[in-house]
Amino acid sequence: MNFRQYLFPIAFLFLGLSFLFNLGMGSVWIPFGDILSGLFSGDWQKSSWEQIILNYRLPKALVAICAGIGLSLSGIQMQTFFRNPLAGPFVLGISSGAGLGVALLILAGSAFGFALSGVNSWALAIAGILGAGLVLSLVSLVAWKVKDSMTLLIVGLMFGSAVSAVISVLSFFSGAEALKLFTVWSMGSLGALGWNQVVILGSLDLVGLIPVFLSVKSYNALLLGENYARSMGVNTEKMRWIMILSTGILAGGITAFCGPIAFIGIAVPHLARMVWKTSDHAVLFPASAILGAILLLLCDAVGQLPGYSSTLPINAVTSLVGAPVVISLILKRNLSRDF
Amino acid sequence: MTNSKSNLALQGKSLHLGYLHQGSKKEILTNLNFELYSGELTCLLGPNGVGKSTLIKAILGQIHPWKGELILQGSPISDISLEQLALRLAVVLTEPVFPGNMTVEQLVALGRTPHTGWSGRLSEKDREAVENAISRTKIGYLRKERLSEISDGQRQKAMIARAIAQNGELIILDEPTAHLDLVNRLEIMQLLREIAIQEQKAILVVTHDLEIAVETADRFWLMTCSNPLISGCPEDLIISGKINQLLPSKKYQYSPQSGRLEVQDKVSELSIQGPAHLAYWVRKALEKAGIFKLETKIQVKENPFQLEVNSKIFASLEELIQFLKSA
Repeated sequence: MNFRQYLFPIAFLFLGLSFLFNLGMGSVWIPFGDILSGLFSGDWQKSSWEQIILNYRLPKALVAICAGIGLSLSGIQMQTFFRNPLAGPFVLGISSGAGLGVALLILAGSAFGFALSGVNSWALAIAGILGAGLVLSLVSLVAWKVKDSMTLLIVGLMFGSAVSAVISVLSFFSGAEALKLFTVWSMGSLGALGWNQVVILGSLDLVGLIPVFLSVKSYNALLLGENYARSMGVNTEKMRWIMILSTGILAGGITAFCGPIAFIGIAVPHLARMVWKTSDHAVLFPASAILGAILLLLCDAVGQLPGYSSTLPINAVTSLVGAPVVISLILKRNLSRDF
Repeated sequence: MTNSKSNLALQGKSLHLGYLHQGSKKEILTNLNFELYSGELTCLLGPNGVGKSTLIKAILGQIHPWKGELILQGSPISDISLEQLALRLAVVLTEPVFPGNMTVEQLVALGRTPHTGWSGRLSEKDREAVENAISRTKIGYLRKERLSEISDGQRQKAMIARAIAQNGELIILDEPTAHLDLVNRLEIMQLLREIAIQEQKAILVVTHDLEIAVETADRFWLMTCSNPLISGCPEDLIISGKINQLLPSKKYQYSPQSGRLEVQDKVSELSIQGPAHLAYWVRKALEKAGIFKLETKIQVKENPFQLEVNSKIFASLEELIQFLKSA
């Protein structure tokens, strides 16, 4: 089984290739060789290519990497903590919360005569963060009260449904233009804010991930369940807060800036377990991060539809392209056995 | 088996335990006193619902005593932090959740969690402890197997190895032999006894398996509703008949002769002659078939096995019972 030690170099190679592939895809065809020489030497054949790559595609690709990492690591934390293969970054209602923030801004804003022209990408992101933060605090309040993690999971799901219902009511009463704007947001986008988005998501990833990587051994102990983990000296109360805050920051931030990107958070941890065939989080955390970045880069590249000026929304692509691939992989193996 | 104060591992002093249920206190265990010694395998026996799990939870520090004290080698358990307690106490619970991708070796290494740094990387000393635990439990051949691919008995041994690797002075096991076959049950209990003696650990096993516990335990704790906990050498408890406190009705009794539970609803008046070990099984078979009385005596012969009733010869008990029932 020695080939597994080469898995990380191979994964990094794939990450590089996906990154390049992602940069090459778009409405304007730019040869890969020119992208590489442009990036490394600064000499671009056309100044328009420099503009497209440096100001649009490069930040978008970096956002895809940040979002892929953040969503995958939120997902694996949830799956291990709740010991549930169906858990993902959004089971605690965080994406619905971000959706609520955005819906309040766009839909309620239009209902009260608030000018839609005032709604820009920044306003959307801030509204999303506020909404995710609101749901996160509610969930934390519940986590404070209940000691049982299964109850917490159910309450999180309930919060999600309740918040979605509020969004439906808002949609029902809002105008066509506002509705369209909200629908577009909910389809997700990686390139709305350029370099600012890279900086913000990059810092969110850092803030959200450091506590996770510091708790590798506690997550391993949690694989045996909370009681065993406690018997091995793991403070499960503390772990619960790390899990809630880390996934809140990661998934909440990413959803606020990129829209709800489905699927990555649930699927990637399973892919990582399947490929690396381990349950050790010292391996699974970096493995999920790399796979998440690769998957989102590829999904984004596929959605670019070369030759057309329009792109498919990222949320649709991740589900459309990702789902069949991952489902076919998972069906070949017994998921719960590998968990 | 020396019971001087020096090897006292855990002590309960007039312990009161219970739960808060919807605002009202529900006391489960009242005024419990016990002493657990290192180098001994102690079996805790008692009917379901008597409060064994509650006691275990209190020892694990999950619930705090209402009154009285639980003392782990001189210091009250409620004063010991979670991290410190994990260094001194390991458990094997009844929870059946296992990550299938984990190998046996990885599982055993998890036992070192309280000893390692933040990354969980194993030091030389940790590796030695893991190796020792694996060789003690004789599961070296399973080292690279995944938990989803081994049997229940092997998995239980791996869990015990994990508890040994944790290297506390005290190991508590909650029904470690439930769902296992007879050989595995004996093997695991004997393994625990070996470990208790060789590593000078105090091992407490909650079990319902009276017969195997009699074979392997150094000490019994009998817990029954509304009686104080009885502690003693299993054989003493059998001879004094205290073991029967486990059995609520007079119908079932522990028989000191056979070392097993027997139904005592009718006293048979069979007269059986022959070697005692054969006569025993003849009596059992006839009692089970509902035959408690015969006019004549039964003659049992060995080599070849033969039964003689009223000068009729039978080669097996089945034949005899058929004959007696049809008569």
